[in-house]
Amino acid sequence: MTIDWLPAFGFFGGGGALLITAVTLVRRCERRLGHRPDESGPPVTPGQTGADEISAYLDRMTTELRLPAADVAEVRAELVDHVHDSMASLEAEGFEPERAIREALGRLGPPAELGRQLRVAHQSTRRLLAGAGGGVIAAGGGFVLGYLGGIALGLLGFLAVFAVVALLAAAGVHLPNIIANDDGTTINSLLYATTLLVAAAVATRYAVRTSAGLSRRAPRTVAVFWAVAGALVFGWLAIFEMRGPQSWPGVALELCIPVVAIAAAFVRVERPMPHVGRWAIIVSAISLVVLSLGLVVSSGVSVSGSASGSATLPATSFEMSDLHLDTVAPMAPAAWLPEGIITGGGWGSDSTSGGTRVDDTVGADPAVPTAPSLKNWHEVRFEAWRALPMDEPGPGGIDTRYSAPLAIQPAVLSGNSLSAVFHFERLRDAGSWWVVLTAVGPDGHRYRIGDGGGGNSSFNGSAWDWLTAPQ
Amino acid sequence: MPGRIRGQLLKGTTTLLVLTVLREGELYGYEIAQRIRDNSGGAFVPNEGSLYPALHALEADGALEASWRESDRGPRRRYYKITKTGLEMLETHAQEWAAFSLGMSRAVAGPKQ
Repeated sequence: MTIDWLPAFGFFGGGGALLITAVTLVRRCERRLGHRPDESGPPVTPGQTGADEISAYLDRMTTELRLPAADVAEVRAELVDHVHDSMASLEAEGFEPERAIREALGRLGPPAELGRQLRVAHQSTRRLLAGAGGGVIAAGGGFVLGYLGGIALGLLGFLAVFAVVALLAAAGVHLPNIIANDDGTTINSLLYATTLLVAAAVATRYAVRTSAGLSRRAPRTVAVFWAVAGALVFGWLAIFEMRGPQSWPGVALELCIPVVAIAAAFVRVERPMPHVGRWAIIVSAISLVVLSLGLVVSSGVSVSGSASGSATLPATSFEMSDLHLDTVAPMAPAAWLPEGIITGGGWGSDSTSGGTRVDDTVGADPAVPTAPSLKNWHEVRFEAWRALPMDEPGPGGIDTRYSAPLAIQPAVLSGNSLSAVFHFERLRDAGSWWVVLTAVGPDGHRYRIGDGGGGNSSFNGSAWDWLTAPQ
Repeated sequence: MPGRIRGQLLKGTTTLLVLTVLREGELYGYEIAQRIRDNSGGAFVPNEGSLYPALHALEADGALEASWRESDRGPRRRYYKITKTGLEMLETHAQEWAAFSLGMSRAVAGPKQ
């Protein structure tokens, strides 16, 4: 096992730095958005003479302002102060109070025009760029935070479900086991989908908060952009890029991710997000380190432990007829295919395509040249048939409930090896399979020329691969 | 005194006037308007509707810093303070205005006899 430290440090440092930066940005921007007013904020204006007229003017001005709540409150408070100062000055000059109000408001000009000019003053191009850049950074940090939170949420959810099932079982209520014999595929796919779903939601909300705060745009204004961006980016990730075990519940959850990203941009957008304090950052950072270390270590192990198998038959005591290989085709007559020409082979992961490569060795005996061995055979191919699981009682072998192969691939001769690549990982329910080498003999009938061997595969691909998988 | 300067002539000079009075110290919006009028002997009366957009734009550009605090008389006010960027901006605007003013004076005076 080897650990590539450079990507590991990049992952630790980059992810942690992104997370801390994002949390800091969001907390700063939330103050700007008015969720956490601090001591330096504007005063609450008490009811004063002419308050209705002033409020009506400011309300009209605010409709054109379209700024974050904290900015709107500041502008309104500042203008109220100004109008009151102006009124006091005018009254000192001899104006009646009612006339002084109208004069003071009149000097500020039309409310809509004032609101428009103030909006232009706040929403500079520099702030817009800062909002866009900050939004991207915050989305990255939010994704890391949401990813960790999603893992925790997923695990807690499954623990809760298992606890409920156990309690019901103790009470004598037995629910159908919908995840039996699926090698954890359903649970894994749901966990992956939940993780990405939470990450997409948190990332989109972080982006909206930060963009609105830095660009001085109303959250609902920037939410339109981030809803589209979030739906496209996270939708693409969820549907086309996230590869792994899939199940119908997991795929259904993944298809919801673009919708969740849109909802996260808009729903309760004016409410504050949960406070993320120092301890939350520390725990997140430690979780990130532990998770990353685990990923790095497990990836190092998996390289040396890639799947492979032998085409030899099970070592348990059984009769050849128990394997039901005749379901595929009768064995080739020894007169046309002398014993020892096909000497077995194996299967393993195909590093190029990610599929399963099967091969049989031809003419391993130097005394038996390859070409003459196969000269009477044509249409040589590998046939994958559904098989009985080997861990069940019995030797496994062909599942006789099926009358057609699961998949067929032409055998390619290279040197003294016949090989083909099957994509069992792209079949929703490949399960156990048995690969047999067949060919058409001199009499025009198809025969088995190699008894092959079997293995197990589960789906491994994107949601799109799952939806478009052949039946 | 030649009287008040017309609004159109003041257009574009608000930034220079605001930065100039804030060089003397921190002020809030209404005080800024009053200070401009007083310093010009009543000649310049800034349009109050364009004063606040100008102040907020200067703050967005980093030329001013604003903070809420108690005023000498009455409630809390939003005070503006000129920054280093603002001082540099003031110097540039002042030079441009001096050049413009000189050129305009010569142009209005007509050719020398």
